[in-house]
Parts: sequence; C-alpha cells; structure tokens
Amino acid sequence: MRYALIAILALLALLIIAPPLLGTGWQYALINALIAALFAAAFNLLVGQGGMLSFGHAAYFGVGAFTVIHLMQSVEYGDIPFPTVLLPLAGAAVSLLCGALAGFFATMRSGVYFALVTLALAELLHSLAPHWDEMFGGEAGLSSMRMPSLGFTFGSTLEVYYLTLSWVVICIGLLYAYTRTPFGRLTLALRDNEQRIRFMGFNAHGTKIVVFAISAMFSGVAGSLMAISNETANYSVFSTQVSALVVLHTFVGGSTIFFGPIVGACVLSLFTFVVSGVTHSWMLYQGIIFVLVMLFAPKGIGGVIQAHIEQRHALPWKRLAAPYALATLAGLMVACATVFVVQSLEIVLSREYAAAVARTGEYAPYTVFAREWQVFHPFTWLFPVLLLVPGLYLLRRAFARIQTLWDKDDDDDGDIAAAPRELMEGGH
Amino acid sequence: MPRWITTAAAITALGVISPAVQAEPLKIAIIESLSGPQTSTGRLIATAAEYVIDQANADGGFNGEAIQVKEYDNAGDTSGAATKFREAAADGAHVIIQGASSAIGGQVTEDVRKHNIRNPDNPIIYINVGAEAMELRGKKCHFHAFHFTTTAPYRTVPLMQVMSEQGDLGKRVYSINQNYSWGRDMETAIVDNADRFDYQVVDKVLHEVNRIQDFSPFVARIKSENPDSVITGNWSNDLLLLMKAVGDANLDITFGTIFMDQPGNVANAGNVAEGHYVAHSSNIELLDEAGTEAYRKATGHYPVFIEPTTLNGVGLFAEALKKVNFDGGDIDVNEIAKAMENTTFDNGLGGMHVRKADHQAVIPIVVSQVARDVKYPVDGTELGFKPIKTVAGEDAIYPAQDSCRMRRPE
Repeated sequence: MRYALIAILALLALLIIAPPLLGTGWQYALINALIAALFAAAFNLLVGQGGMLSFGHAAYFGVGAFTVIHLMQSVEYGDIPFPTVLLPLAGAAVSLLCGALAGFFATMRSGVYFALVTLALAELLHSLAPHWDEMFGGEAGLSSMRMPSLGFTFGSTLEVYYLTLSWVVICIGLLYAYTRTPFGRLTLALRDNEQRIRFMGFNAHGTKIVVFAISAMFSGVAGSLMAISNETANYSVFSTQVSALVVLHTFVGGSTIFFGPIVGACVLSLFTFVVSGVTHSWMLYQGIIFVLVMLFAPKGIGGVIQAHIEQRHALPWKRLAAPYALATLAGLMVACATVFVVQSLEIVLSREYAAAVARTGEYAPYTVFAREWQVFHPFTWLFPVLLLVPGLYLLRRAFARIQTLWDKDDDDDGDIAAAPRELMEGGH
Repeated sequence: MPRWITTAAAITALGVISPAVQAEPLKIAIIESLSGPQTSTGRLIATAAEYVIDQANADGGFNGEAIQVKEYDNAGDTSGAATKFREAAADGAHVIIQGASSAIGGQVTEDVRKHNIRNPDNPIIYINVGAEAMELRGKKCHFHAFHFTTTAPYRTVPLMQVMSEQGDLGKRVYSINQNYSWGRDMETAIVDNADRFDYQVVDKVLHEVNRIQDFSPFVARIKSENPDSVITGNWSNDLLLLMKAVGDANLDITFGTIFMDQPGNVANAGNVAEGHYVAHSSNIELLDEAGTEAYRKATGHYPVFIEPTTLNGVGLFAEALKKVNFDGGDIDVNEIAKAMENTTFDNGLGGMHVRKADHQAVIPIVVSQVARDVKYPVDGTELGFKPIKTVAGEDAIYPAQDSCRMRRPE
C-alpha cells in the first residue's frame, strides 16, 4: 500500500512536471489520454464493478460535451457568468440526470438485454442529433471559446492540460473512494450475485440506477473536458465508435482491476497518437493488440501487473529473469516480423508505388527499418520468416518455462496463484 | 553548469544572426482522413495537393526554399483532427489543407480561427477543398479560411439551369435528400429555385443517412407523384440504391445529382446511370490533355471526383504565392491571404477567384450527363461524363450569407 502511494505520487509529479517540456502536440495528446482514462474509469464503474456491460456510453460522454459547449457559448456572449474551471460541473449534472433516466429503463434487464437497451438509447441520440441543428449544430458542429477565469486565460494548451489534469485526478480519486464505501461494496455484490442483494433487503433496481447514474455523471465530466479542450462539439461524438473505443480501452486495460481501464486508456490513446503519425495501418496494430490481450491475458494489462504485484514475494525472480528476458526478445522478433510485413505491404500495395512502377517501369527499392529492400529479392521475404519462426519457437519455450516457475509457486501456496495460470493460458 | 550556459549563449547568439542566412520555408500541413472509412477521399485530396506543391517546387519553390508538405492523419474524427492541428501548429505550419468531411472542416476552421486570435503574430491559413456545409461560409466564416469547393445551392442552380435548357427538368420536380444539414441545404436550394426555372416541387423527402437498404417504398412514393425529374444531393449508397430502385421500377425519370462522379458509382449503377446529370466543378473531358496525362503519369490515375477541386484550390494558392515576395525573410501569412483574394486562376474551364465577402471561391460549374460517347470512360465501363454546358461562376454562385461577419486584419 505504501509503495502504491509512492508510485501514484511519483506518477502525479511526473504528470505535473513533464508537460511544459513537451510540444503542444504532445500536451494535447496527454489531455486526450487523461480524458480517455477518466471515461474508461467511469465506464468501468458500471462494467467492472457493477457487472453491467453498456454499449452506449458515448451518449453520456456526448451529453456532457454538448452541455458544456452551450454553456461556454452563453459565457462567451456574456449571457451567463460561469467560471471556466467549473464548467465540468454542469456537464456532470446534466449527464447525471440523463444517466438516471436512461438507467431507470436499462437496468430493468441485465446481461445482453441491458447491453442492447443501452445501445438503443445511445443510437436514439445518435440518429436524433443530425436532425436538430439548434441543439447539436448540424454537420459542422457547435463551437465556442474558453473565457479567462481565475486569472488564467486558458489560451494555451498547457493551461488546459493542468485544468484537465486537476479534474481527472479529482474524479478518479472520487471513483476510487467510491469503491471503498459501503455502497461501493454493494456495487461489487451486485455484480457477483444480484439475487443475494435482494434477499438481504436492498433494492437491487434502485442500486443499479444509482450506479448507472454515477457512471454516466463521470462520463459526462470526461465529455465536458473534451468540449473544453476542443472548444467544439459535433454530433459524431454520439457514434458507436466512441462507445466501442471505451470498451476497447477498458478490456485491454483489464476491467477487473480499478486502475486497469485507466492504464488501458492511457496506453492505447498515446499508442494511437504516436503510431498514427508513423503509419496508416495503426488501426490494424490496435486490433492486433486487442486480440492478443484477449487471447493471452484476458484480465488485461492491469491484470498482468496486478498478478505480479500480488505474487512479488512468492515468485522466484532470479530464475524468472532469464525466461522473461528471452520472452521479451522473442516478442520483439515476432513484432518486428509483423511490422515488417505490414509496412512492406502498405508501401508496395500503395497507389503511389503503383504509379511509380507505371511511370518508370521498374520496382524501386523501398525503405523499412532504415534499410532499403528489393521487392522481388528472396531475402526481403525470407527476412520476416527468419524472425518469425524462431521468435514464435522461443516465445513458446519461454512461456512454458515461465509457466512452470509460476506453477511451482502454486505448489507452495495453492490458492493465490490461480490467477497467473489463468493469465497465461487465457482461461476465464 | 557554466559550460552549459556558455553553450546556450553561443547557440542563442547564432540564432540571432542566422535568419539572414537561412530563409524561412513555407510549411503546408495536409490534415486528412488517411486511415479509416473516409480514406479513399482523404487520399485523393492529399495526392492532388501534393501534386500541385511538387510542381511549385519544381518551379523554384517559395521564398528561396522548397515548400515543405507534411501529411497528418486525422483518422476520420474531429478529436483526431484537433490533435493533428495542434501538432501541425507546433511544427510551424503556415497553411492547412483539408476537405474530406464537413464535420472535420468545422473543427479545423474553428481551430484555425482561435489559433489566429491567440497568436496574431503566427496566423495560419485554412484551405478547404471539400467541406460543403453552408455554415462554414456563414456563421463560421473568417478571414483565414478559404473555401474552394461548392455548396448545395452553388451546384443546384447550374444543375437546374442546364437540365431546364435541355428539356429534361420538366415541370414536376421531386426532391429527395438525406436528413442532415447537407441534405436540408439541398432541399432549400431545390425549393428556392422553383420560380426561377419554372417548375413545381411535387414532393420533398428527407430520409436517414446511409441506413436504408431498400428504397422501393420511396420509389413507390416517387411514382405516385409522377415527376419529370428527381433532384438529389445523396452520395454513396444512398445515391446508388435510390437509382437502382428507380431503374428496377422501370420509371423514366431523369436524375439530377451532385455526387454521381464519386469513383465506383457508375460501375455500380450500370446502365441505370445513363442519361442522368451531375453538376461538378470540373470535367476531365474539357481539360487540356497534356495536363491530365502529366497528372496520370505522376499519380497513376486521371484526376477524378474531388481531385480537380483540390487541384483548383491549391493551384490558386500556388498562383497567389507568385504575387508575394518576402526576399527570403520571415513569411507573413496575412500577406499571402490578401494575395489569394486578389488572384485569378485559370483552371482550364475559365477564370476562378475568391469572393472577398466570405472567401468562397467563384468557380465555373460543369453540368455533365452520363453517356457513352466520351473520351474518358470511368470505372472500367463504357460510360463517362459528357459535358453539356459550363456555367460561369458568377452566374452559378449564391449570394454571400448575412451570417458571415468577417473581421479583416489591419
């Protein structure tokens, strides 16, 4: 616990100190990562803790965004005085109301039916929004400008970053505190056995509405922060893509652990920012990561980290070091082979390359990994195979070794090590 | 530490002296949808824009340096566009080119406007080559935004005019459009021009965007009104499925469209497309052969769909660059913007220029008909776009909107 606190404080210090040294592009990417983290944490309150998988959380995110953009416009035109720093409160309030209303209907059912109702409610907004220009601004969207508040102009990205950071830290803190309250425990019980809650005399439906509304409220804060940062809101925010992305973030990060979705959202947002600047195939890589995580670590990145932290005293670290290093090396080989093939195909199959071939009549060498490759040279296509085959072999060997080492630990104290076995084998 | 300070001082001193030696290169950012569902349009825009800049660079670049172009992938959403805009601004971009979507156009133009308010010393120009929403030239207009594509009324008027002259418009016109801002702009334009071209709008329909798989109920409605022509701003599947449903019902109705020339449309529609009209800002049949062949040689294909618009817009920008001269010194973006207002560019069909009131480009519009006897058949079919008439920009353009209040820099 003490280490956890130190780690969080160190991370926080880094988040405060580092951004002024970065360019505005990175500052803005960090803002987006923070917003995605809060959205995922709010979403996970419903999914991971309440056991209710929603496919329409974009609705509450979007409601928060549109509430704030309307309020910002009123402030900009001088109709209402409202401090910029407190804008997310308005988004939170409206999303809370909408969440309570939608939650009332959605939580009448559970499982797949619940998911479908949330999806339907979000689609309702998604198809309504393009028809209502005054409220949602049509295709070009609504736009406003941040007004100075509390001595800050909020003109620079850095000021917006600190505003976002403050709100995200406070909200994630509140969400964490929530899990510690008796009501938070009740939420967990709701996931595990709803029947039992009813027998214990609690109102299960009422509890679910409250959980849904709180999740919607924090999603609304995330949407508000997005509107403040972009200074625009467009009805595309209600699209299923937004709802799907938060599911992706949550499950890659690991929905069973509080910090899992936050890690997942940060990692994937920054991954998108960095990789989309380098290659157009970034969506493919994102998909590959999702599939791999679901297959080999169903508890997500957060689950892997947590299993290690829980087992830190029981694991034979010295003997694990070699297979871990080997697994990393083999993983890198496989990754290099994959990236090489994808990038090669991206270049060779592109229109530009086809045009160049048609123009000059020859297949020019192309560059991947800072080296030139001939399209029809056998080594070009042997190279990924040479990386992939031994890479996969070594990866299997390394994981088999890691498995035995974790299992040995299993013999010593039986019950806690069930998690890592599941983690490696992909069982649920 | 002291050594660090001296080094820093030395670098700063160098920095003060060096500008005279190193000219400031003009930087252009293409913020487009280069991955995701809108890639096909985004890629075309980027290709065409880069083609023009490459030519300008072959002619000696600008300000004594080659013009630098960088692609930024907005991944097809507004948040991605906002991220890439900030990255481009941090990279020192002077000009931003975008066009594949009005939603992203709304984001980019607003980001540019706010950037210019906050950084009056380093303004940025936005060149819109594809976003057609009226609002971008209305409430959201500003001095640094230039719109080189048309809007709903801009294309509808010449379309109606030529169809009327050809006797294909008739007295009974049916309006069917997608229910969002673009489709509603189209409907307004169709209704507003009824007196001018002497027709009656027998029915108007707004339907969901890209969700309808079966248009036969709509066709039944069209049939019951017995129109002479159907005018639609539909694009993609909504256009294809509508045309096919009308073809299947054996109705002899002429379509007036805006997006028939999207690659793949004619191939998908087949013979059903023949005889229908399209209003676009260029037609390859009318262009100088040397120019189109040069384009094909460089990019592997003839300029299609949104590419001519991009070539025109970026072409006018490149022409305007010839009018300003900073002698290798710092680039004043406002000067370039003012030069763009005063530049006339021949796009092969006639002169085009930018209207000062809202920075909407005044471009000639070609109205074409899908026909067999063409020089450049499209999509591997025998069909192509036969130009019927070119309407001068001044005759086609809509009046500037009152909602545009442009503040000009001193």
